[in-house]
Amino acid sequence: MIFLIVSLFLLFLFAVQTTFLKALAIAGITPDLILILALYCGINLKENRGIGMGFTLGLIQDCLSGGLLGVNSFAKGLVGFIFSTLKDKIIVEGLIPISFFLVVASFLDGVIYYLVTSTLLKGEWAGGVLPFLPLYAAYNALAGLVLFFFLDWGRRWIHRKFPNDIFRV
Amino acid sequence: MPRRGTKGRKNIILLSAIFLISFVLMTVNVKRGKGPVFFETFAMWVVDPIQNMLTQSVNAVSDMFDHYFFLVNVARENEKLQIEIDRLKQEQNVLQEEIKSWERISKLISPLEYTERSSLVATIVAYDATQWSKMVFIDKGTKDGVQENFPVVTHAGVIGHVIQAGRNSSKVLLITDSRSAVDSLFKESRISGVVVGTGRDSCDMKYVPITAEVKVGDQVLSSGLGGIFPKGMMVGTVSKVVRKKQGLFQTISVSPSADLSRLEEVLVLLSPESG
Repeated sequence: MIFLIVSLFLLFLFAVQTTFLKALAIAGITPDLILILALYCGINLKENRGIGMGFTLGLIQDCLSGGLLGVNSFAKGLVGFIFSTLKDKIIVEGLIPISFFLVVASFLDGVIYYLVTSTLLKGEWAGGVLPFLPLYAAYNALAGLVLFFFLDWGRRWIHRKFPNDIFRV
Repeated sequence: MPRRGTKGRKNIILLSAIFLISFVLMTVNVKRGKGPVFFETFAMWVVDPIQNMLTQSVNAVSDMFDHYFFLVNVARENEKLQIEIDRLKQEQNVLQEEIKSWERISKLISPLEYTERSSLVATIVAYDATQWSKMVFIDKGTKDGVQENFPVVTHAGVIGHVIQAGRNSSKVLLITDSRSAVDSLFKESRISGVVVGTGRDSCDMKYVPITAEVKVGDQVLSSGLGGIFPKGMMVGTVSKVVRKKQGLFQTISVSPSADLSRLEEVLVLLSPESG
């Protein structure tokens, strides 16, 4: 049942990301809900599940993108890995830490995309990513706080209805 | 302590696996070009109905609001009109929408009447799932005759080409994407160059000699070379020209003639044999 709920939620999230989120674009930049979810999974899934989830989310995002296949699976997998590893060592609750993590994850995501595509595509890529990274990070931090709130609510609801050992309590 | 060591090893293995699988995917993608991998086709197939549904819902809500405000004005002016008249007015609205839609479609088709290629009207249903790539999904796929590398245009000009054709939907790489290149020429001077995407909302025209006379406002057309876009399609207009003292080529910015941020219906040019 949890698998079904999560799958439907993912389907909805990807559909939102690729359809009407464009209407909220600022200078062509929209929040990356997938990155926010990868970070959330890294922090809130038990053990190493956040790594696999980050990678899977990135892979689906790659499939629904015109870019290079594998870039997002690597970037989101790495975000999942970093926060899955750090979650027991640092404070991961509260608005300020979460905003900070969202900014860090956004920069990491953008820089990985920049490095990989500019290396593999041998200069075809024009480098339009870097100037927009601060805006991208700020927008993700803002949207992330809202999404984290709803994800937390959903996580608690799932815990109540279907007790499990997937999520951190 | 041994548990921590095991966990550390497990993490390193997981990280290595992510790194390895991602780079295998990237390498396969670069080597194979833009052809779809099976799970890309699968992902498009799964998400496509939801995207269609959401896009239709958003359009319906938007239409409802438009019609609501319109009807509020009508109601104020005609408070005492009978219900039957309201019904007729509603019907008229629906028909007007139909006419507008047909006007847009005929506007799309008219510039292409001289070409022998048949075409297919498609609707934009979704956008790229990432920030950095400029791609849109259209609601036509292989079952409608769409194939990879088919050009996609509007009445204003070229917007991109099909990079992946799924059964029910396809991915169209816009000319503003950094992986896009359109062999082009200036309408007046006939000097050629290559229009490449910048990854933002504009393009650059490359390989135009420093000696060529180019000014802001010059129109850029597709040259027909490259095998994707037919000759003479409008690509864009020169928005900025920079001549460096050193170097062989000018730096030219081109604004796409079609408004790529407000795409609704587009035209896919099918190959001559498809028609």
